[in-house]
Amino acid sequence: MTADMSQTLFGAEIHSPVFLASGTCGYGQEYADLIPLDQIGGIFTKAVSVEPRGGNPPHRVAETPGGMINAIGLENVGLDRFISEKLVWLAANLDRARVFVNVVGRTVEEYRTVISGLDSRDGFLGYEINVSCPNVKGGTMFGTDEVALADLVTSLRAATERPLVIKLTPNVADVGVFARICEESGADGLSAINTFPGMVIDIESRRPLIGNRSGGVSGPAILPMGVYATWRARQVTSIPIIGIGGIRNGDDAVQYLLAGASLVQVGTASFVDPDAAVETHEGIRRYLERHSVELSELVGALADPGRET
Amino acid sequence: MLGFGLGAPGTWLLPRPFSVGWRADDGRVGILLRVFGAGTRALGRLVPGDEALLLGPLGQPFTLDPGRRIECVAGGVGLAPFIFLAAVEAAAGRRVRLLYGERTGPAVFDLDLLGELTGHDPEVFTEDGSVGTPGRVTAGLDPASDALLFGCGPTPMLRALAALAAETGRDLQVSVEEHMGCGIGTCQGCVVRSADGRWVRSCIEGPVFDASALRWDGS
Repeated sequence: MTADMSQTLFGAEIHSPVFLASGTCGYGQEYADLIPLDQIGGIFTKAVSVEPRGGNPPHRVAETPGGMINAIGLENVGLDRFISEKLVWLAANLDRARVFVNVVGRTVEEYRTVISGLDSRDGFLGYEINVSCPNVKGGTMFGTDEVALADLVTSLRAATERPLVIKLTPNVADVGVFARICEESGADGLSAINTFPGMVIDIESRRPLIGNRSGGVSGPAILPMGVYATWRARQVTSIPIIGIGGIRNGDDAVQYLLAGASLVQVGTASFVDPDAAVETHEGIRRYLERHSVELSELVGALADPGRET
Repeated sequence: MLGFGLGAPGTWLLPRPFSVGWRADDGRVGILLRVFGAGTRALGRLVPGDEALLLGPLGQPFTLDPGRRIECVAGGVGLAPFIFLAAVEAAAGRRVRLLYGERTGPAVFDLDLLGELTGHDPEVFTEDGSVGTPGRVTAGLDPASDALLFGCGPTPMLRALAALAAETGRDLQVSVEEHMGCGIGTCQGCVVRSADGRWVRSCIEGPVFDASALRWDGS
């Protein structure tokens, strides 16, 4: 049996459950020379903000035990250049691969501006909303403030009919609470989970190694936390979840699928091997064939899933 | 970028950027590796027959100016690209000046092998004075020379070279060193500051830059 890797999600045919994660694949173009993007489900673009952002001083990345830390500072080309250069390329060069545009802002209005600038254009399926950035007004993050998150998602829901996926931050006491807020406010899906706040110190200079002092930790070190966040979000919501965090191969991805994710994103592992996402796709397929199981049967098929608490 | 990929279970290592050090007739390439930390230690344990993952060549190389003399200034493992460059020039019947500095004598690369690989006799400098000329490699430069300068080594050395080039009006290309994530321009991790204040990626726009195109005061 050759396993069928396609699913209908977010109103679209998605032919592979494996995507490239935001911030690790640019706007797709850089990877197009290295891997066949149409063989995987698609990509989540680097964040797009209204204005171009310059990003943080170096060092911006460093290796950590079982992973890496980064503080890029959401450097991006801004909405106008994203439309004129990046989206045009995506529309012209991707066929089966689906694109989610990762959107970032400092105010609700900034998120809305990006969405209204993109909404009528071709070349992408939906949005992934990055809520792990400080809100200018209150200094809090949308993703860690229940009221701010509900306001943001409600407002964006009114601004678009396209699939709206919220990328959850793990930096909260119970990710389930925030997952439920997103669903109740009209989100179509959840990405679980963003990077974990971390810090590395250069003991010789006694300074933080990362220019921004702290950064986000990703890679295999966070695999169990991402699987947990996915399972927790699955317990309390019923919208599709995109599992992310530490996935290197099909076996890692299957953990997310069993925990309740319908799709997964491969991020940091692509730096170690650009083929990681394609290999993950193949690994899932082999698992399905070995167990004679359909992809849809595997999603959330965790034995002893526990009860909602 | 050189790493282990994801194939070997139980290992996790981000690939590291390396210069192509030399090229053998049978198509193999040599990489000069110095053990600094866990990553280079693991890569240094590779033995013939082991598998590694190599992504490249990537980025911008040193740009030669036909007919113009070249002086290469290497600090430590920054020697790597100049082994290749000197060998290519030697094969074409040309000479470069190769200045090579280390902090201490024991760190100095095998000079017989270096002569064999490059077809050149490098001028060696050590800060502890135990091998070659005592002092910093930059002290070996002739202020009156107008040769094209190439530099590769630790950032303080490159900064000193950039200051010297700015003072004397000499053309200098440098290969910079910054932590790298992907090597192909997607992660924006390896940026350095351009003279006009932008962040530029050392993996795509570099690693070799015209020194005058970069900002050297740390701002």
